[in-house]
Amino acid sequence: MLRVQNLTLAYDGRMAVQGLQGTLERGSLTAVVGPNGAGKSTLLNALVGQLRPVTGSIERDPPQLRIGYLPQQADMDRHFPITVFELVALGAWHALGTTKKVNERVRSDTLSALQEVGLEGFAERRLGTLSVGQMQRALFARVLLMDAPLILLDEPFNAIDTRTTQDLIRVIRRWHAERRTVVAVLHDLEQVRQEFPCCLLLARQLIGWGATSEVLSPQNLARARHIAENWDDTPAWGERCPGCSDV
Amino acid sequence: MIRMALRALFLTVLSAIGSAAADEVPLRVIASFTIVADWVRVVGGNEVTVRPLVGPDADAHVYEPAPRDVRDLAAADLLVVNGLGFEGWMSRLVQSSGFQGHTIEASHGVRTRALNGKVDPHAWQDLGNAAVYVRNIAAGLASLRPTAADRFRARTEAYVHELEQLDLQARNEIGAIPREQRVVMTSHDAFGYLADAYGFTLLAAQGISTESEPSAAGVGNLIREIRNNHVHALFVENIRNTRLMDRIAQEGGATVGGRLYSDALGSPQSPAATFLQMYRYNIATLVGAIQASAAGARARPHH
Amino acid sequence: MLHDILLTPFLEFAFMRRALVACTALCLGNSVLGPLLILRRMTLVGDAMAHAVLPGAAVGFMIAGLSLWSMSLGGVLAAVSVAVIASLISRGTTQREDASFGAVYLVALAIGVLLVSVSGGRIDLLHLLFGTVLAVDNEGLILVAGTSTVVLFTLALIYRPLIVDCLDRRYLASLGVSGMAVHVAFVVLVVLNLVAGFQVLGTLMSVGLLVLPSAAARFWTTRLDALFAVALLFGLCASFGGLLLSYHLDVPSGPAIVLVAGSLYLISVLGGSCDSILLTRLARLKVKNT
Repeated sequence: MLRVQNLTLAYDGRMAVQGLQGTLERGSLTAVVGPNGAGKSTLLNALVGQLRPVTGSIERDPPQLRIGYLPQQADMDRHFPITVFELVALGAWHALGTTKKVNERVRSDTLSALQEVGLEGFAERRLGTLSVGQMQRALFARVLLMDAPLILLDEPFNAIDTRTTQDLIRVIRRWHAERRTVVAVLHDLEQVRQEFPCCLLLARQLIGWGATSEVLSPQNLARARHIAENWDDTPAWGERCPGCSDV
Repeated sequence: MIRMALRALFLTVLSAIGSAAADEVPLRVIASFTIVADWVRVVGGNEVTVRPLVGPDADAHVYEPAPRDVRDLAAADLLVVNGLGFEGWMSRLVQSSGFQGHTIEASHGVRTRALNGKVDPHAWQDLGNAAVYVRNIAAGLASLRPTAADRFRARTEAYVHELEQLDLQARNEIGAIPREQRVVMTSHDAFGYLADAYGFTLLAAQGISTESEPSAAGVGNLIREIRNNHVHALFVENIRNTRLMDRIAQEGGATVGGRLYSDALGSPQSPAATFLQMYRYNIATLVGAIQASAAGARARPHH
Repeated sequence: MLHDILLTPFLEFAFMRRALVACTALCLGNSVLGPLLILRRMTLVGDAMAHAVLPGAAVGFMIAGLSLWSMSLGGVLAAVSVAVIASLISRGTTQREDASFGAVYLVALAIGVLLVSVSGGRIDLLHLLFGTVLAVDNEGLILVAGTSTVVLFTLALIYRPLIVDCLDRRYLASLGVSGMAVHVAFVVLVVLNLVAGFQVLGTLMSVGLLVLPSAAARFWTTRLDALFAVALLFGLCASFGGLLLSYHLDVPSGPAIVLVAGSLYLISVLGGSCDSILLTRLARLKVKNT
C-alpha cells in the first residue's frame, strides 16, 4: 500500500523525520507513537502529500490512492455557518466534485454515517453548537463518507471524552474489518496495546515499526525518551508545547 | 531781469526736453482683469505696457492679490478697473500698495441691469457697453498722455467699428433662431447683459456645485427646470463630473454646449485670447449648441 | 400619498430608475461576495482596494492621458496585483490577510501618489475614476450588470471549494484542490466587483454596499444561504431608501445610501434575531429569573 524509502522531512526550519524506512501493509491498523516533536504529524502530512520530502520517497500503490485524512481539529473554523449534514456530506467530494448537487445516495450515506458515529438527529445543527466530542464524531462521519482505502488520523482522541473515544474506536474497528488501512497518531499507550496490532515508534528517527508488543518494549521506549531529552527545542514526553501553532 | 528771463528760458527748454523724453517711456498700466487689459492694449498700443491682476481663466470674484501685485501697483502710473462692485478686493489692495497714480473706472456711464437686487457688474457682455468702456479708457489715457490723444482716438474708433460689425453679425445669426429656442442654462450669472441684448432666456443652474456630491433632489430639480423651460443648451461647467452633466442634459432634452468664457479671457493659445475673439466664440458656441439641440429634437420625440 | 413618496420619483426620472438598476446589479454580486469576505476576515480589503487602484490609474494616465478606459484598466490591474501579491504573502507565510493586505496596499498607494505628482499632479484623476450613482450611463449599466454576471457565474463554479477553503483548508488540500487558486479567484472577483462599483457609484458606496448589508445579515441568521438572501435584501433596501432620502431631503446620494445601510446594521446589532445585544440581554434575564 505505502512504501517509505529513506524519508527525511523538514518542518519549521529543522529536521522533523530522518531516514525513515518501511512498508505500510494493506489492511493494517497502525498506531504512530513517540515523544512530542517526534515528527508524527509531519509524517502524516507527508503521507497525504502535503509536505514534500527533503530526501527519500513515498510510494503509493495505487498512485491515485484516495486518502481519508483527519488533521488535528485546531485548523478548522468551528463556527462556520454550515450544518453538520453539510460538513459530513463534504466527504463525498470524490463523487460530487466541485459542482454536483447532493444526490439521494449521498444523502442517505450521510445520514447513516451520522447514525454510526452516534450523531443521529444532529443533521441540522450548526457547527458552532457542537461540543468538542460531537465535532470529532462529525469529522469521523466525514471520513466515513470518503470511503477511502487509506485512513490517516492525527491525534483523533486529543481532549475527547471517554464515551466518544470508545464510540469512535468502534468505528476504527469497523474500518479495519472492512480491510481498510488505518494509521492513527496516538498518545495513550494502553489504548495502543489494546486496539492496535501494529505500531510505529518515532523519535524523529525510526525506533521500531512492526507488531505492537515488540515495538513498545521497555528498551525502545527508554531509548525514545532518551533521544527526546536531547532535543533542545521541545518539552519532554507527555507535555504539549505551549504556543505552538501549525499555520 | 535778463537773469530771470534766461532762467525761465532755461527751465522751459529743460521741461520741454524732459516731457519729450517722458513721452518716449510707455505708461505703466495695471488692469484689474484680462478683458479690460485687452482694451487698454488695443487703445494704448506702444504707448502703454499693461498687465492684468486677475489672469486668463481666473475668477475675479474670488481673487486674492499676491505680493507681486502690491509691488507692481505701487510702481504703476495708471490703474484701470471695471467697477460696479466687480473687484471687491481692489480698495484694500490700493490702500496697502500706497498707489499714487490715476484710476479709471472703465464702466463709467454704461447701461446697467440688476442682478439679485444689486447692479450686475458684467456690463462688458453688451457690445454697446463695450464701446463706452473703450472710449472711457481712451479718454483716461489721453488725459495722462495728451500728445498721443489722436492716436488713442483713432484706434478707439476703429475698434468701436469692429464692435458694431460684430454686433450686427450676432444679431443676424441669433435672429435666425426662433425666439422660443433661445433658452439656455448656465452656471454663471455672467451672461445677463448678453441675454438681454440678443433675446436669450437665461436660467441659472441651482443646487449643483463642484465641491459637494450631488443629491437626487438637486439633479431632479435641474432636469425639471430644463424640461419646463424647454432649455435647449446647457452650459454648466461647474459640474466636474461630465457624466452627470450628460445625464442631466439627456434626460432634460437639452444639449450640452461647450465652454463659455464669462469673467475672463482665455490663454493666448485659446480661442478667446482677445475680447473680440472671446465674444465671437461665445456667440458661435451658443448658436451651435442650440442648433444641435433643435436638430436632435426634430430627430426624436421630446420626452 | 405613499405612492408619491415611494414611487413617483422613480416614475418621473430616468436617472433614478437607472440608479436603482445599477444598485440592484451591484447588490446581486455583493450579497454573495460580502458574507464570504467577512467570513474570511477580509472586510477591510474593500477600502484598501479603493486606494490600490491609484498607481494603476496613474500609469494608465501616463500612457494614454485622461482616457477612462486606460485608467480603469490600469486601476483594475493594479488592484488585482495588490490582491494577488497580498494573497501570496498570506498563504505562503505565517502572516494573515489583514496584515499582508494592509502592507501591500499602502505600498501601492504610495507609488500611486508618487506617480501622480511626478506626472503633473492631476487630482482630476480620481474625479474621473470615481463616478456617482446619479449619473449612470449605458456604459456604466453594462459594466455593472456584466460584472455581476461574471461574478455570480464564477462563484457558482468555485463555491464548494471556496467554502471548504474557509472552513477547513487542510481538508481541501488533502483532496488535491489548490486552495491558493480558489483564494486568488475569490479575491479577483471581489476586486472586479469593487472596481466596477467605483466606476459607476463611487468609492464610498461601492465598499459600503459590499460590507454593511453582509455585516448586518449575520444578526438574523447563521445559515450560509440565508446570509446571502438577507444581505441582498438589506442591500436593496439601502439602495431604494437612500435614493429616496437623497430625493426628498436633498442630501448627497452616495452617503445617503450608505447611511441607510448603516442604520440597518445598527438595528441588526441591537435587535436582530440572532445574537443581537437585545436578545443576549433577554436570554441572560431569563436565566437569572429561573
